[in-house]
Amino acid sequence: MNSNTIVENLKKEINNFSLQLKVEKVGQVMEVFDGIAKVSGLSDIKSSEMVTFPNGEVGVALNLEEDAIGVIILGDFSKIKEGDEVKATGKILEIQVGDSILGRTVNAIGAPIDGKGAIKATKTYPIEKVAPGVVTRQGVDQAVATGIKVIDAIIPVGRGQRELIIGDRQTGKTAIAIDAILNQKGQNMICVYVSIGQKDSKLRKLGARLEAGGAMDYTVIVSAGASEAASMSYIAPYAGVAIAEYFMDQGKDVLIIYDDLSKHAVAYREISLLLLRPPGREAYPGDVFYLHSRLLERACRRNAKYGGGSITALPIVETQAGDVSAYIPTNVISITDGQIFLETDLFYKGIRPAVNVGLSVSRVGSSAQIKGMKKVAGTLKLDLAQFRELEAFAQFGSDLDDSTKKQLERGKRAVEVLKQLQYAPMKIENQIVALYALTKGFMDDIAVDKIKEFEQGLVEYSERHAKTFYKEIKESKMWTDKGEAELKKVIEDFKLSFNR
Amino acid sequence: MTTISNNDIARAIYLISKDASKAEQIDLFKKIARFLFRKRLFSKVPDILSRLKKIINKEDGRLEVKVSSVEALSHQTKTHLEQILKKRYSVKDVVLIQNIDSRLLGGLKIEVDDEVIDLSVKNKIKKLKEYLIKA
Repeated sequence: MNSNTIVENLKKEINNFSLQLKVEKVGQVMEVFDGIAKVSGLSDIKSSEMVTFPNGEVGVALNLEEDAIGVIILGDFSKIKEGDEVKATGKILEIQVGDSILGRTVNAIGAPIDGKGAIKATKTYPIEKVAPGVVTRQGVDQAVATGIKVIDAIIPVGRGQRELIIGDRQTGKTAIAIDAILNQKGQNMICVYVSIGQKDSKLRKLGARLEAGGAMDYTVIVSAGASEAASMSYIAPYAGVAIAEYFMDQGKDVLIIYDDLSKHAVAYREISLLLLRPPGREAYPGDVFYLHSRLLERACRRNAKYGGGSITALPIVETQAGDVSAYIPTNVISITDGQIFLETDLFYKGIRPAVNVGLSVSRVGSSAQIKGMKKVAGTLKLDLAQFRELEAFAQFGSDLDDSTKKQLERGKRAVEVLKQLQYAPMKIENQIVALYALTKGFMDDIAVDKIKEFEQGLVEYSERHAKTFYKEIKESKMWTDKGEAELKKVIEDFKLSFNR
Repeated sequence: MTTISNNDIARAIYLISKDASKAEQIDLFKKIARFLFRKRLFSKVPDILSRLKKIINKEDGRLEVKVSSVEALSHQTKTHLEQILKKRYSVKDVVLIQNIDSRLLGGLKIEVDDEVIDLSVKNKIKKLKEYLIKA
C-alpha cells in the first residue's frame, strides 16, 4: 500500500465520520484509594452502571449516595487522580464475546491476557443478568461425564446442575475440576474455567495441562489473578457466566468452574468494607448470600422451546480445618444441588480422589445417571457407608462373623476400585465394567493390593473382547442379558489368566 | 442518632429566611452563625453555602451555566445560547458564567451541573481519533 492510498483511505474515513452530539453526564473524582473512587456529580446514574475514566479505565458504580457515588475501578487505578472527569455510559458493565474466545485466556473484563492477539467479538453480553425463569427451565436429565469413578457412580452430576466441590487446601479440589474438563473431549460440551484470586503460576500450569490434553479447543479461561485488584476478582465469575450464557444461547451445553468462591467472597468483603458498607458475620456484608445465589442461579437447563442448552456449575469452596459450618461454606452448600466433600485424612491415607462418600450428595444428579451405571452403583454407596462403620468397629475385636468379614473385604476392594490417578479420566463404559466386577463379587478373591492392577487389566481386556456389552451401553445406556452373559464370561476368562 | 446533612441545613436556612424582611434577615443570619458555631459546623460553611445557592437558584427558576470558549462570546451568541438553554431546561432565567480556555482550540463547552455538552474542536478531534482507530 503506497502513501497515496493511505491518504485516500484516511480521507474517505474522515468524510464518513459524523459527530453525534450528545449530552454527557460528567462527575469528578473526589478521592481514590485501593481500587475505589468516590465521585461527585453523576446524579442520574444507575446501580452497576459502567463509568469511564480519562485514561480509558472502566469502573462500576456500586454505592449510590446523596451527592457522591462509590465506584470500583476495574484495572489500573494508579493513574487516576483527584479532580479527573468521570463519564457515565448509561450501560451496565458488559463484556465482548464471540466464538473465537474458545481456547483463550481472558481477564475479568474479557480482554485477552494470553498474548495471542485480539479476540474477534461478535456480541456483547451484560455481566449481571437475571437468571432464567421457571417457565424457561427443564429438569436435569442428562449426565455430565466427569470421568471420575467415585463421582459418576455415587455423586452423579447432571447437565444444568450446580455441584459444589468443597474441602480443605491441598485436597484435590482443582484436580477434580480439571479432570472433569479433560474428560469433556468429544462430549459436546464447552468449558469455562474461572480462576479467582489464584496464583499466576498455578494458572500457567493448569493452562499447559489443558493444552496438553487437547482441552483448550473447547475451553475458555477467565482469570482474575492474586495480584490484581479485588474488583477484578469480584467481577470474574459474572464475566465467566456471561461467556457461558453466550454459548448456552446457541443451544450448547456449558460446564463452568468457579475456582474458588471463598476467595470471591473475600474480594467482595474487601470492596464492601472499603465502600463503608456495614459488616456482618465474619465481617462479610449482609448481601454475601445474594452475591453467590444470583451467580449460581444462572446455571440452568433450558427447555427446547427457549432454545435449549445448559450451564452446569461446579463452584469450589475452600474450608479451614474441615469446618463446613463456617459462613461461606454453609451459604454455598444451601444454594447448590449437592456437594462433593474432600477430606485431608483420606487424602493422606492414599484414597484419592479424597471424596468422603458419606458427606457428599447429589440432589438431582441421580435422575441424570445412565441406567447401566445406576444398576451397578445402586448399592455401592450403602456398602461403603456400612464398611466405614464396620471398619471402626472391627478395630476393637478380631472375632467377627462371616458376613461382617465379607462386608469388610468387599468394602476394602470398593475403596481400591474407586481410587483414581489425577489426569486419568475413565470412560463411562469402562467404569461400569470395573464396578460390575466389584459389585457382582468377581474381585472378592483378588488380593487388595492387586485390585488396581486387576481393574486396569480387566478394563483393557473387556474393551477388546466384550464388544456387544460396550455397544449396548453406548447405544441404549443399558445392557441386555446377552451383553451381561458376554461380560461375565470375559471377566472369568480374564481372571483365569490374571491368577495364573 | 440521625445525622443532619449539609443539604438539610441549607434547606432549613432557605426556608426560614425566604419570607423574612431585610432587618429580620440580619438577625436571622447572626443566629444561624451562632448555631453553626455551637454545633461545630463552621468547617462545612463553604459546602452549605454552595448548596444554599443551588436551592435558591432552583426555587427562583434560575440556571447557572458555565460556558467555556477560546475567546469571549459575542452578545448575539450569548442571547441565542440563553434562549436555547431556557427552552431546554425550562427555566425563567439563565446566568452564563464565561470561561476562557485556549485548550479547547475552538467551539464551545457548556456545563450545567453534571451535564456537559461538549462542542469544542478538541472533543471533535478526540472523537475522530477514536473513530479512526476503530475503523
